[in-house]
Amino acid sequence: MAKKVVEVSSLVKQYGDLRAVDGISFELYEGEVFAFLGPNGAGKTTTVEILECIRPLTSGSAKVFGYDVTKREDAKEIKKRIGVLPQDFSALDKLSVKENIDLIGGMYEKKLDTMEVIKLLDVEDKANERFENLSGGLKQRVGVAAALVNDPQLVFLDEPTTGLDPKARREVWSVMENLKKLGKTVFLTSHYMEEAQVLADRIAIINKGKIAVIGSSQDLISEYGGLKVLVVRKGGKEMAKTLQDRFGGTTLNHNGDVFVKADDVNEMWRVLSTLTEMNLTKEIEIQTPTIEDVFLKVVGGRITEEGELT
Amino acid sequence: MRRTLIIFKAVTKNWLRSRSGLFFSIMFPVLLLLVFGAVFGGGGTSTYSLFIQNLDVDGTPTPLSEGFIEALNSTETFAIRTIPGDVTDLRSYARDVLGPLGGNIRVLAISEGFQNDMLNGTLKVRVGISYSTLQTVYEYFEPFLNETERMAMQQGIDQMGQYNASLPDRKASLTLILDASDQSSGIVRSIVMSVANAFNYELMGARNIVNFEEEPFTERQLRTIDFYLPGVISAFIMTNGIIGVTTNTTEFKRRGIIKRLSITPLGKLEWILGNVLSQTLLNLMLTAIIIVVGWLAFNAQAIPDIFSIVFIFIGSVLFSGIGMVLSGLIKDVEAASAIGNAIAFPMMFLSGAYWPVEFMPDYMQTIAKALPLTYFSEGLRSAMIYKYTEGIIINMAIVSVLAAVFIIIGSLVTRWKEK
Ligand SMILES: Nc1ncnc2c1ncn2[C@@H]1O[C@H](COP(=O)(O)OP(=O)(O)O)[C@@H](O)[C@H]1O
Ligand SMILES: [Mg+2]
Repeated sequence: MAKKVVEVSSLVKQYGDLRAVDGISFELYEGEVFAFLGPNGAGKTTTVEILECIRPLTSGSAKVFGYDVTKREDAKEIKKRIGVLPQDFSALDKLSVKENIDLIGGMYEKKLDTMEVIKLLDVEDKANERFENLSGGLKQRVGVAAALVNDPQLVFLDEPTTGLDPKARREVWSVMENLKKLGKTVFLTSHYMEEAQVLADRIAIINKGKIAVIGSSQDLISEYGGLKVLVVRKGGKEMAKTLQDRFGGTTLNHNGDVFVKADDVNEMWRVLSTLTEMNLTKEIEIQTPTIEDVFLKVVGGRITEEGELT
Repeated sequence: MRRTLIIFKAVTKNWLRSRSGLFFSIMFPVLLLLVFGAVFGGGGTSTYSLFIQNLDVDGTPTPLSEGFIEALNSTETFAIRTIPGDVTDLRSYARDVLGPLGGNIRVLAISEGFQNDMLNGTLKVRVGISYSTLQTVYEYFEPFLNETERMAMQQGIDQMGQYNASLPDRKASLTLILDASDQSSGIVRSIVMSVANAFNYELMGARNIVNFEEEPFTERQLRTIDFYLPGVISAFIMTNGIIGVTTNTTEFKRRGIIKRLSITPLGKLEWILGNVLSQTLLNLMLTAIIIVVGWLAFNAQAIPDIFSIVFIFIGSVLFSGIGMVLSGLIKDVEAASAIGNAIAFPMMFLSGAYWPVEFMPDYMQTIAKALPLTYFSEGLRSAMIYKYTEGIIINMAIVSVLAAVFIIIGSLVTRWKEK
């Protein structure tokens, strides 16, 4: 069993009347990528900032590396050992990439060589560029570089790709995959389903301050994702009718595509052999459920591109 | 301490590379000094004949009206002749005196109430000059600025414009009668106006000669520029803190830069001290540049000594402290910059930085005495110009106490943790 890096138990954060974090418990294990997946206002940033020791908690307990986030002396130890990319990261506009990373690095007793970190993030050619002149994606990469400068064991990335275009998002993803290779424990928050599914070893779906489900994406999908679906493109009315007789959950859309739901592998084979009997010549496709289906099932809604729950 | 120095270095570099920072903290004060020096410095080369009738008499002529005539005289531009108070037709009186070959008639009538109006009016003039200087510099700078810098400056200028517009117009208590054919009427008019704005400083110079008679070094003659120079320095040390620190800190806060730093082992006091040191360096640079410009352009005699440097440090603490208090209380960047401007510009003119408190009307003296800048500028002036030990000590004590109070409140309201 891997070592526990973060241990949160019955954590509550109250802002006046609003209970932003409502009694959540979870752990992070050494070397894993753990994701908080949830819409805006779910309580992601609040939780992360409590763990970073910059926000007091209302009740419950939170430990990082065994240190208690509420104790002053412990907080010092935690701060030395964590790296953070805050939500909406920004740096001093008129300083260069290198100067900004030097600035953050200078705050620690022990730090990596700035150029080494810059190379790691593949921003060498921008090392002397002023921060204000960088694109959004590059700014985020600088933010990740700054988060690594103290060679932390645990890295928090709060919505690292929000607002980036798809290309820049993928660049940041590849950076995060490198973090995993470096053996860092990563706490990622996101409202992008795909991001959590691609990057995280374990996902906690969080909504209204509560964790709905927690587990690896495979486990969550097989438990909550629902059925696999076989699609026959342009199968037509006739075929839909035949399949409907044998397999209850068959539907037809306005393009003439036929959808057949399959409980398990055996069912899927039966559908396929039926289609073989019918001398099928059309294109077929098998759709596997995703985290989005899990989310829909456990939260009862979807998250828009902007992060709002619908 | 290591972390403090790193913050100091980063914040200073960030500022030195910002055009709007340089504009407000260095360019504007330097240009203002040049314009003030030129306008209020008086002086001219040719001599014009000028008749003066002084009706601002209270038994004897009022001190300011008399001082004004003396100031006109000291420009060495005019050959002044007096018209008695009972003369009503000034023009024909002058014609008679000049005789058939006399040349152009120039008569200045000083009406009753001049002294009072003068005291109320100079504020408007000074604010007006600063406002138009700021606008001129901005127009020149504008093409080199980006959108945010432009907005920051526009806001400063608007604030100043509003302040300017809010001041009552000065009443005309001087009447200048000139011949339409007089080629030099424009020059004469502008010299009289400049002197009208500046004469009380000439008065101050005279007052200082009297003061120095008790001191061993009586020969020293102070001029207007010597009064202005430490005034401009202290006024802009004040704006650097109240406007600069407030705006920068609020901006750092809004953009999450302070939060990013608070996640590292950096402590709150280290952060504050780093910023105060950065302000101190900036203000020492400002002082050096102003003094050099003063030397070159006006042969000013300011001599900075160790007291001046200590003063600049304490002043930097005081005004950054006020800036920290404001940015601790105000979240919104625009509001912070507006409030900073709204405090700093009036303070600049209502304090004793640009004109001696003794010459202000009573109600304004009361205001001036409540403003920290009054003590700071008085102290810096004592250190740099008068070399007047008592003035240094008293003002330094007051400024130090205020600095301690504001930097402590500033540290308390600076949030290093979220709520
Ligand atoms: N400082 C605060 N004061 C009051 N309410 C807050 C504060 N910070 C966050 N909230 C509220 O708490 C809830 C959770 O916010 P947050 O943790 O930022 O969510 P997320 O990061 O998942 O978008 C939101 O409703 C937000 O409006
Ligand atoms: Mg958030």
